[in-house]
Amino acid sequence: MRSFLGRRSFKAVFFTLSALLLILIAVPLIRMIASADPATLFTTMAEQEVISSICLTLRSAFWATIACLVLGIPLAYLLARTDFPGKSLVQGLVDLPVMIPHTAAGIALLMVFGRSFFVGKALGTIGLDFVGTEAGISLAMAYVSIPFLVNAARDGFLGVDPKLERVARTLGASPRQAFFRISLPLAWRSILSGAIMMWARGISEFGAVIILAYHPMTAPILIWERFQAYGLKYAKPVAVLLILICLIIFAILRWLAEPRKET
Amino acid sequence: MGNFTLSDVSLTVGQGEYLVLVGPTGTGKTVLLETIAGLHHPCSGQIFLKGINITHMPAEKRHLGVVYQDYALFPHLTVFDNIAFGLKLKKKGPREISGTVSKMAQFLDIQTILKRRPRLLSGGERQRVALARALVLDPHMLLLDEPLSALDRMTRDRLRGELKRIHSELGVSILHITHDLGEAFFLADRLLVMKNGAIIQEGNPEETLKRPKDRFVAELLGIENFIPARLGGGGQLFLEGLGPGDPPVFPASPAETEKEIFLAVPNWAIQLFPGKNNGDIYLAMFPMTITGLDRAQGHMKIHLKHAEGEQLRTTLSWREMNELPTNLELGQEIPVGLNRKGIHWVPAES
Repeated sequence: MRSFLGRRSFKAVFFTLSALLLILIAVPLIRMIASADPATLFTTMAEQEVISSICLTLRSAFWATIACLVLGIPLAYLLARTDFPGKSLVQGLVDLPVMIPHTAAGIALLMVFGRSFFVGKALGTIGLDFVGTEAGISLAMAYVSIPFLVNAARDGFLGVDPKLERVARTLGASPRQAFFRISLPLAWRSILSGAIMMWARGISEFGAVIILAYHPMTAPILIWERFQAYGLKYAKPVAVLLILICLIIFAILRWLAEPRKET
Repeated sequence: MGNFTLSDVSLTVGQGEYLVLVGPTGTGKTVLLETIAGLHHPCSGQIFLKGINITHMPAEKRHLGVVYQDYALFPHLTVFDNIAFGLKLKKKGPREISGTVSKMAQFLDIQTILKRRPRLLSGGERQRVALARALVLDPHMLLLDEPLSALDRMTRDRLRGELKRIHSELGVSILHITHDLGEAFFLADRLLVMKNGAIIQEGNPEETLKRPKDRFVAELLGIENFIPARLGGGGQLFLEGLGPGDPPVFPASPAETEKEIFLAVPNWAIQLFPGKNNGDIYLAMFPMTITGLDRAQGHMKIHLKHAEGEQLRTTLSWREMNELPTNLELGQEIPVGLNRKGIHWVPAES
């Protein structure tokens, strides 16, 4: 016991366990990318179906994130700044989409926004259809990944000292001005981080999207369909391409969200 | 705020007055200040500013400057932009803003740091920037919440002088919260004492120190010695733990009925080696034994004990120590006198 709790042993055990987890994450990706045939990859990149699918996936996730920024930031701010009855219930509701199976989430969305339900019917009359459309894809992506954005934004606002907002008020700022000039600028890195996570999670969404909109096919659904129909050999290039594109965009956005050191 | 409430709070700040509010931590000083600033809405009572009822006026319209203990500078803005924040909200032009900020920066001697970010400033610089940010809008009143508490002694002393200068040169009314008595006595035109959400005494600092309303106020103002006593109906004073004493000469009329009191005795009213009690200088004189000698910077704290149990503390500067007829030693018995002029009685129950 004494040797286990000794400084060197303690660190060694932690490093070993951490390394195992990192290997678990990295090895399948490295293996897949390393085993990809460049010629096949380039051929796949030129396929219109693949390009459209990847663009659709990135675009749908992007619009889902934008829409949830508009709706989620106010909610995050309220959760950070106000106490109200049922607040823990609201927080639980925000976290719920992470916990429910995503195919179940897709069915739940279909039951509300599908053409047989009054909400879906009403929206359909103004040209907003969520079944088998890009809007439906964005909706499904948004539903399952909103907790990442709201929680990150909430934590960002919690990190802003409320005293700064109070001082801003005494200097003549209305609550709206204090929010836009103080709270939001100071929380933007956390919000961006949350948005990146939400966007990334939306891209990878399969279960909810396939229920609401099998077509047009997002990249995850295309990969699955090719795997089912033609096997690993034909699914792998699309998977590798999607991973590489996501890694590059993800790295750039994470770099943007990192705080800069000032001299 | 949980179960805390401000209860009996009534105060007036005169034009150009420097009002200092003292009280222990948790007594509601900051809540009071923020209520005046409009950051909390009172359930009852009213706030008037220059004759106008501002009780329900939003904070941004009250035109009051607030400076917090930790300065609350906006970390994402430069010093210039911090100071200019309020001016930009008023939609002043860039040239006017630049001129006004420069002028205020010169007044507070921070013109060389305008391009820096707050995290690169010293404590004293941050405090000056916070003051500049509030003063640049020419507020009706400045509300200072322990503005010097977070500073080292040297910077604190320097900025204390700055606050006095700002007050005298700009003539701005100031409500200043502190628990530092030296600061309070140096700056205050008038002193307020707060306890449990209520203001329990107010007056000029000297008078408040001479006539504390109760033991709590006396202790807050730095009085360490409280001698239990009984004030008799015939004016007789019996000091418990020290023996009988002559009736004290108090400005207030003595109690007509017998009551239990404390004599609040400031350190300076305890005279070691008193001379003859000519002209009733001393309320009482008795021998006491030295039980402790604590050295501090520039002075010595002396702990004394009477044979009947009462303990007193006094402080002597090094100069006063050198003027004593003998060196002080632990266990030494010396004569002690209580100077009437410094002593006030407070009720035994608070």
